[in-house]
Amino acid sequence: MPVGKRRSSLIRSPQFSSLVILIVLLAVFAIVDRNFLSPLNISNMMAFLPELGIIALGMTLLLTAGEFDLSVGAVFGLAPVVVMLLVQNGGWDIGIALLAGLVLCIAIGAINGLIVTKIGISSFLVTLSMLLVVRGAALYITQGFPLKSWDQPGFFVTLLAGSLNIGSFRFYTSLWWFIGLSLFAIYILRYAKLGNWISAIGSNRNAAVARGVPADTVKIWLFIATSVLAGLAGMISAFRISAASPVAGTGYELEVIAMVVVGGTALTGGRGTILGTIVGALMLRAIRNGIVLIGVPGLAYNIFVGLIILAMLILHALLQKNAARS
Amino acid sequence: MDVLRLQNLQKSFGSVCALKNASLTLREGEVVALLGDNGAGKSTLIKAISGVFPVDRGDIFVRGEKVSIRSTRDAMDLGIETIHQDTSLAPDLSIARNLFLGREPVNFGWLGVFAPLDLAKLRKAASEVLKRVGISKKLDADALVSTLSGGERQSIAISRAMQFAAKVIILDEPTNNLGVEETHGVLRFVKEVRDAGHSVLLITHNIHHVFQVADRIIVMRRGEIVAEQIVADTDLLTVESIITGADMSALLKEARAK
Ligand SMILES: Nc1ncnc2c1ncn2[C@@H]1O[C@H](COP(=O)(O)OP(=O)(O)OP(=O)(O)O)[C@@H](O)[C@H]1O
Ligand SMILES: [Mg+2]
Repeated sequence: MPVGKRRSSLIRSPQFSSLVILIVLLAVFAIVDRNFLSPLNISNMMAFLPELGIIALGMTLLLTAGEFDLSVGAVFGLAPVVVMLLVQNGGWDIGIALLAGLVLCIAIGAINGLIVTKIGISSFLVTLSMLLVVRGAALYITQGFPLKSWDQPGFFVTLLAGSLNIGSFRFYTSLWWFIGLSLFAIYILRYAKLGNWISAIGSNRNAAVARGVPADTVKIWLFIATSVLAGLAGMISAFRISAASPVAGTGYELEVIAMVVVGGTALTGGRGTILGTIVGALMLRAIRNGIVLIGVPGLAYNIFVGLIILAMLILHALLQKNAARS
Repeated sequence: MDVLRLQNLQKSFGSVCALKNASLTLREGEVVALLGDNGAGKSTLIKAISGVFPVDRGDIFVRGEKVSIRSTRDAMDLGIETIHQDTSLAPDLSIARNLFLGREPVNFGWLGVFAPLDLAKLRKAASEVLKRVGISKKLDADALVSTLSGGERQSIAISRAMQFAAKVIILDEPTNNLGVEETHGVLRFVKEVRDAGHSVLLITHNIHHVFQVADRIIVMRRGEIVAEQIVADTDLLTVESIITGADMSALLKEARAK
């Protein structure tokens, strides 16, 4: 492909237009409120970013394969609750309890995936039911009360929620998790054989199956990966704030899907971009943070968030139409 | 030598019996046309051979050996390449990635599904395939399939079957939606493949095409094989009357008398 053509297709790509909007947004917030780019505020944003961002990586792969998962917010809440109960009431070792939490997340993802692929029910219905089951389980086993989390420093706390001061910036280990997992996801989707399969399955499942691609197995593993990432994000969050709440992560599923589609991944499958998802995650984080700083009244946040998401999606759709015409 | 032999294949979808007792043989280096009206069971038959779904009953022999085809991968490994009626490409992938879908060239193969694609090899092989097939317009191996015309997509699917030099190539209505030039391209391809010693099973509704390229005709009706004709010994009207099952003998006599 000639350089000129490649450049123009990059500029027209959805992740690029998202990036432009992100920069504009950051500039507007920075101009309206000086504190937006202060070390404290940036450190704050970077502390929250990985928790939803990590889930969004799994969701991007799942959406690219043509499925999605509404149970991630509930898994985000359940995993730390179960781990902490095992430690505090069961007297389990924290390492073993974390392992049990991992197994639980794998099981939830596997059940989602098996029902979607083997019984053929849409992932919307399956994971919506799973959301209720998982959230209900978290509420029931805690009787609705938040648990005190693991606040003794130790290997696992440092691993998941340790922090590091660089100058006046404070970085959590979770950011490294997010960066590492992002690089891995980019590699998978763009350069690995698996990524080729994921895109093909979402683009035309029958075609992929006709070429010997094990579509169901790939989907089941993607459901498992998404669930595990949601559980990991939940643990990171619980360790950071030293508390595990059964209602943690409520509504995260929609926020995560918004991040992914704002970044340019198609809800219908076949076209996914991890870079776009990272931009989308940064954008939603910046919006949530920025509108507070610029003085939008608290109860009006969601109006703005919703409108900006809608505007992004309209922009993607228009660009797509344009690209199809040229 | 029989390359492919099907014996009493049966397949039902719920109460619909799509295939009853279908048996046929495909020899080396011959083109067999599979004809029949809509819903006769042609696509069902070839989907069973290519591993899309298992048959309820019946045996499949490849080169005289009984085989069990449980997945599309099994069929491909036995040298059976199929171009399905409902297009078999992923529109959001590039031409190159489609050509090698399921058989990607990779580095570090021991990484399994996590192995990195050998992108240079992929692109090079793809442009060679495109050149060999001689698609009239020059296509870019990196172009997305969604930007191609129906005919161009069909040509890509055909070149993919060709590139893996399958023993048996099955084409389900390959000339559907094709322009005149592309149609001739497909028919030329069928002849080339036969001359190279491969066997072709061709499904089509266009009897004229059949008489141009096929050696033998097999007619299906309501899930059964109802007739077999050698192309050299038959004519268009006879075949048409067999397909519809209508009594066309009067018409036939009239036509012959002329
Ligand atoms: N997956 C399926 N589920 C249920 N019924 C099916 C399925 N596939 C095919 N059938 C039925 O089986 C019969 C044979 O269908 P098939 O697709 O094999 O026909 P065909 O000969 O290829 O027709 P056409 O020329 O229209 O392509 C039809 O009655 C069809 O409705
Ligand atoms: Mg058919």
